[in-house]
Amino acid sequence: MIENGVAIDDSFAEAFPMKATRLVITAHNLTWALNAAVSATGFATSVIACGCEAGIERELSPADTPDGRPGVSVLIFSMSGKELAKQVERRVGQCVLTCPTTAVFAGIAEGEAIALGKNLRFFGDGWQISKVIDGVRYWRVPVMDGEFVAQETTAVVKCVGGGNLLLMCTDTDAALAVAEAAVAAMKALPNVIMPFPGGVVRSGSKVGSKYATLGASTNDAFCPGLHGLAARSEITPRTRCVMEIVIDGLTEADVGAAMRAGMQAGIAIGAAGGLLRISAGNYGGKLGPFHFHLRKLLAAPAAA
Amino acid sequence: MSGFRLSLKHAPAVRVDLRGVLPAALAGLSVAQVGQLPVGHGRSLVPLAEFFTVDPDGDDGTLRFVGDLSRCDRVGWQMAGGRVIVDGPAGHYTGGCMSGGELRVNGAVGLLAGCEMAGGQLTVDGDAGDFAASTLPGSMDGMRGGTLIVTGHAGQRFGDRMRRGTALVFGDAGDFLASRMVAGTIGIGGRAGAHVGYGMRRGSVVFATTAPQIAPTFVPAVADALVFWQLLARDLARHGGPFAALPSRAITRHLGDLASDGRGELILAT
Repeated sequence: MIENGVAIDDSFAEAFPMKATRLVITAHNLTWALNAAVSATGFATSVIACGCEAGIERELSPADTPDGRPGVSVLIFSMSGKELAKQVERRVGQCVLTCPTTAVFAGIAEGEAIALGKNLRFFGDGWQISKVIDGVRYWRVPVMDGEFVAQETTAVVKCVGGGNLLLMCTDTDAALAVAEAAVAAMKALPNVIMPFPGGVVRSGSKVGSKYATLGASTNDAFCPGLHGLAARSEITPRTRCVMEIVIDGLTEADVGAAMRAGMQAGIAIGAAGGLLRISAGNYGGKLGPFHFHLRKLLAAPAAA
Repeated sequence: MSGFRLSLKHAPAVRVDLRGVLPAALAGLSVAQVGQLPVGHGRSLVPLAEFFTVDPDGDDGTLRFVGDLSRCDRVGWQMAGGRVIVDGPAGHYTGGCMSGGELRVNGAVGLLAGCEMAGGQLTVDGDAGDFAASTLPGSMDGMRGGTLIVTGHAGQRFGDRMRRGTALVFGDAGDFLASRMVAGTIGIGGRAGAHVGYGMRRGSVVFATTAPQIAPTFVPAVADALVFWQLLARDLARHGGPFAALPSRAITRHLGDLASDGRGELILAT
């Protein structure tokens, strides 16, 4: 299958069930909401070593937030509800509670509740005050710029992590341009994040390693430096730079829609812009229950 | 589920205790069976039909009282669900200890309306007597959940020992408003009497139009609480009346009562 000179592999991305929550962080202005959100979603590229995968979903206008201030919604994904609860508490405690003027609210109403302000309230050393407003409990913790308001809990939902695209390009400039365009197209969609730096990962991995202690190692089949050296290589003399985009989403449909938008953005740039082939990472379909077939995604209507 | 309309035949000689006459208890009963329900009348139990004409009324399960029930106490007492409407005034303990459902009184109510209520909504389209949203005599906790709305004026000791829920008075409130309040939210649309927040520990009392006299055991707050205020004001605004414009108002706060726990606040949005 060739689209605008770009070969679409007859392959699929393999994704896994995860647990996620959405937090709404508001602040005196968007700058400080973003400062908190960037900090809280820092060092959260992969569950392999970060404990969670997190990112900014979108910016919120004052009309869209519970307290009428500018805000940012962030999504945090983890492999279990317990680990997610730990990550939320640490990240909100260290990065949102600490950030000037912020407040934090649950961005998802339905689902199993995990602590948000429930334990952070003890920072108030007895001066904290609970307030139930319209059936929702909030905590008011006195801090040096006034008070930190946090909803008591946030909800955890089942979700999908690990959707991905491999963008195989002619050179670094082309690969960055294609990847940036694809990420920009995906960011326009709700309910998804691309957790890696700038949304893009250059160190795509395969499962396992020659070293027994490593669970994942470099995806040698896609490393241009190993062309002609590795036993099996997907690299050709023309595809000399590969970028991967990993997508976590609240539902299978959200991940599929983001992958479709990313592919379409890449195809729009086409072979003329240096994108030669789009592939996806999988493990033979044996590990993850969610399979995103690239050609099926492109054939499906965009609204699906 | 069929509803019933209970029309008061005449003013009872002594007070009538209507506890137990609730939508859940009447569900599935015939008109004759409803009329045989025993209600307290002084020291004796008397069939409901002695005082009320019972008629079927609609099929949504609503229980409607018609007439001057100001000598009938405990309307909606311990109500846990369903809908009760009183077309006329009601007596003491109206909506007391209710935990769910909707009770609406189109008239004034007596003492202790909504006392120790834990859930549901009680709307009094008229005045409420003393000790509304408060506690039963000797009990430690007053209103502990739900919503109480008084569109007229309220008497003394409104919200005494209240610990959760929302209680709003569109008009004036008497002396000792929010006395010994533990937590929760009170909103006053008009003026308040003396000794506001006497001994209050926590909780918020919002004055939408008129600042009360503030006791010296309260201190002015120097910090803003804009986030909290927006959350609270937006919730109160949906009840309309004097509270509708609260989200756009600036506020000043006074914290106390320092003679007690001191974490309560009087919020002046005036």
